[in-house]
Amino acid sequence: MIRQKLTQKVLDLPKTDLARVGVLIALLLLGAVLSPGYLSVGNMRIILLSVAGIGIVAYGMTLVVISGEIDLSVAGIAVLSGMVGAALLPSGSAVLVISATLATGICVGFINGILTSVIGIPSLITTLAMLGIARSLANILSGGQAAYPDAMPEYLWFGSGTLFGLATPIALLLIIGLCTIVLTQYSAFGRALYATGGNSRAAVLSGIPVKAVKITVFMISGFLAAMMGMLESARLSYINPAAFAGVELEVLAVTVLGGAALAGGSGSILGTLVAALIIGVVNNLLNQLGVSIYVQQVVTALVILAVVLPGLRSRIFAK
Amino acid sequence: MKLTRRTMLGGTAASALATLTAPNFAWADSHGGMASIHTHINTLIAQYAGTAGDMPNASVKALYDRDGFRDYLEIYPTGELVDGFVWEPGMGAEFEGPYSKLAIKAPFTDYIPLAEGEVLNPDKTYRIGFVFHGFNHPWLVSLADTVAWEAARHPNIELEVIDAEFDDNRMGQVIDTWITKQFDGILLWPSREAPMGPPVDRAIQAGIPVVSLDRRTSSSSISSEVLGNFYANGLQQGLYLKEVATGGNMVLNRKDLGSTADSIRTGAFLEVIGHEAGFEVAGNYHTNSQRSMAFDATADALQASDSFDISFNTGGEEALGALGAIQEADRMESGDSGKIIILANDDAKEILAKIKAGEIDMVAPYTPLIGDIGLRALVGHIGAVEGMNEAPPKLILTPNLPMVTREKMTIEGIETLTPDEWPYAYGPVVSEA
Repeated sequence: MIRQKLTQKVLDLPKTDLARVGVLIALLLLGAVLSPGYLSVGNMRIILLSVAGIGIVAYGMTLVVISGEIDLSVAGIAVLSGMVGAALLPSGSAVLVISATLATGICVGFINGILTSVIGIPSLITTLAMLGIARSLANILSGGQAAYPDAMPEYLWFGSGTLFGLATPIALLLIIGLCTIVLTQYSAFGRALYATGGNSRAAVLSGIPVKAVKITVFMISGFLAAMMGMLESARLSYINPAAFAGVELEVLAVTVLGGAALAGGSGSILGTLVAALIIGVVNNLLNQLGVSIYVQQVVTALVILAVVLPGLRSRIFAK
Repeated sequence: MKLTRRTMLGGTAASALATLTAPNFAWADSHGGMASIHTHINTLIAQYAGTAGDMPNASVKALYDRDGFRDYLEIYPTGELVDGFVWEPGMGAEFEGPYSKLAIKAPFTDYIPLAEGEVLNPDKTYRIGFVFHGFNHPWLVSLADTVAWEAARHPNIELEVIDAEFDDNRMGQVIDTWITKQFDGILLWPSREAPMGPPVDRAIQAGIPVVSLDRRTSSSSISSEVLGNFYANGLQQGLYLKEVATGGNMVLNRKDLGSTADSIRTGAFLEVIGHEAGFEVAGNYHTNSQRSMAFDATADALQASDSFDISFNTGGEEALGALGAIQEADRMESGDSGKIIILANDDAKEILAKIKAGEIDMVAPYTPLIGDIGLRALVGHIGAVEGMNEAPPKLILTPNLPMVTREKMTIEGIETLTPDEWPYAYGPVVSEA
C-alpha cells in the first residue's frame, strides 16, 4: 500500500523534475566511474555542504519567480544582514545577533515587496537598486572591515554544528526545503502563489490578495538570503562585507535550471533542490578531476543549457 | 617579429630594467652597506632563477613550463632600494588608520623620507588625487590609510580620495577629471595593467606627475612605480617547504590566471621546490582570492585524495579558505609530516593569529602599508616639475620582507620572525585560538 502510494507520488512529479533527477543520477554515476570514492558518504556530505547556502536562497528565489517577480537583491541582503549582525557581536548576545541578522533580511524583503507590489516599480528595477543600496549600507556600517564571530559558538553552529545528526547547513537545506514544498504544494498560500504568477489579473478577480502574496514571498526570500549569509559566514568564521559577489545570478541560474519560468506561474522547490545538487555534483567532480575553474564555468553553463533546453522546447511547442 | 607572450611581456621589461640604473633619489638619507635581508633575498632569487631550467622534479617542471612562469619571472624587477636604504624589523611609524580606524605600524615610513610640515613651496596648496578600488577590502583600506596618513602630515597638501569600485572606466574618468582640474599630482592603485595606460599618459602629457602603487600600468611614461615583493614571497614559501619537508602531495590555491601575484609568487615557489624530487602537484586551482572558492576547492581535493600533505596558497584569503576546509574535514593531522603544511601570503592579523595557533605554518608578508612611499615620491616629482629638487627614480622597489613562522628559524640565511615580532600586520584583530 505504502509502496503504491510512493510510486503514485513519484509518477505525479512533473516529467521535467524526473528528467532532472535522471540527470543528477547520471552525473553521480559518471563521477563514480571517473573518480574512485566519489559516491562515498564523505563526498556526498561535501557536495551537500557546498550547495546548502545557494540552495536555501534559491528556494526563496523560486517562490519569487513563481509569483512572476524576480529578486536580484539576495546577495546584497546576505551581506547587509551579516554586517548588521556583525555590528552587534560586541554585545555578546547570540540571540540578538542572530535575530537581528534574520530580521534585517525580512525587513529588506518587505521593502522590496512594498516597492514592487504596492508602488508598482518592476521587481527587476526594485531589487537591482536594493542590491546596490544593501551592499553600500553594509560597507558604511562595517567601514569596509570584516568581522569574526569566533567567540560566539551559537553563531558558528549554523556553519559547523549538527542538527538531527546532520551538519547544520545540510539539515537546514532539507528542513527548509520540506517546509517550502509543503507551503507551495499543500497549502492555500501555495495555490494563491501559482495563481498570482500564472495570471495576476485573474487571481485578483478571484479574490486572491496578490499584493500580500508578493510581499510575503519577498519577505521569505529576504529571510532565506539572510539565512544563507549567516550560514556561509559561520562556516568560514568570517563576516565579509565584500562577500557573495555575483551570487544573485548563480541563484537565478539554479532556479531556472530547477524549472521555474521567469514569466511566473511555474516552478517547483524539488526542481530547485535537484538543480542545486546538479551544480554541486558538476563542480565537485570537475574539482576532483583538477579541471580549471575557467573550464568549470563553461561546463556548468553548458549543463544548465542542456537541462533547460528540452523544457523550453516543450513550452514553445505547447504554444 | 613573432608575437609571443615573452615578446609582449618583454616590452614592459625593457622599460623596467632601464630604470633600475636610474640615478638615486637625492633627498633620501644613505644607509650602511651591510648585507640586508633585501639583498640576501635578491641573491637567493638570482640563485634559484639561474637553475630553474634544470629542475629535476618532473611534476613541478610540467606545471612551471605549462603556465610559462619563467616568462613572467624574467621581467619582474628585483634590485636595490632607492639610495641604498636598508630596512630592518622594528622600523616605521605607528598611527591610527584614518579610514579603517585600526592601529597601524607602517614599516617603510623612513624610506624616501619627507619631514613633517609644509612641502615644497609653503605658500602653495598642493592638490593631489588618490584613486584606487575597494574601501571594502582590508588590504586596500590599509593602503589608503597610509596615503591619507602621509598627506595629513603636510598642511599644504590637499588630498582627494576616490574609490573607483573595480571599474577601470571609472578610474579613467576620475583621472581625466583631475587633469581638467589641473591637480598637482596623481597617485593610483590600478587593478589591471592595460586600461590605465592611456589616462596616465594623458596626465603626464598635461604635466601632472603620476605614481602607481603596488601594481603597474601599461604607461611607459609614468613618473614612478612603487612595487612590492612578490618574488620574495613565493621564494620564501618554497624555502620554508624545502626546510620542513622532503616531499608530499601539494594542492595549489592560486589567484587569477595571468595576474602578477599569481605568476610571480607561484613561479618563484615552483623554482625552489622543483629542485626536490619528492613533491608532487596533486591539485592546481585558481580560486581567485575568494575564501569560499578556496574552501570548496580544498574540500573537493581532500575527497579526491587520501594523501594530501601540503596546501600552497598565493594569498591569505586562499590560505584561510583551505584551512577551513581541512579543519571541517578533520584532516589537519593527516599529512605525511604529521600535519598538513599550509603556506600563506599576505600578513593579515587573522593569518598571524592562525600561525600563532599552529594552524597555518608560515606567511610571506606582502604589506599594503606602502601608500606613504607613493605620496612622498609624488611630492618629489612635483618638486622636480617646479625645479625644486631632483626627480625620484622611476622604479621604487619596496624592501623584501622576511617570512613569519611560529617558531624562530634560520632558513638559507633568512632569519624568520615570529608573529609577536611582526607588528606590521594589517586588518582587524581576531581572537587567538
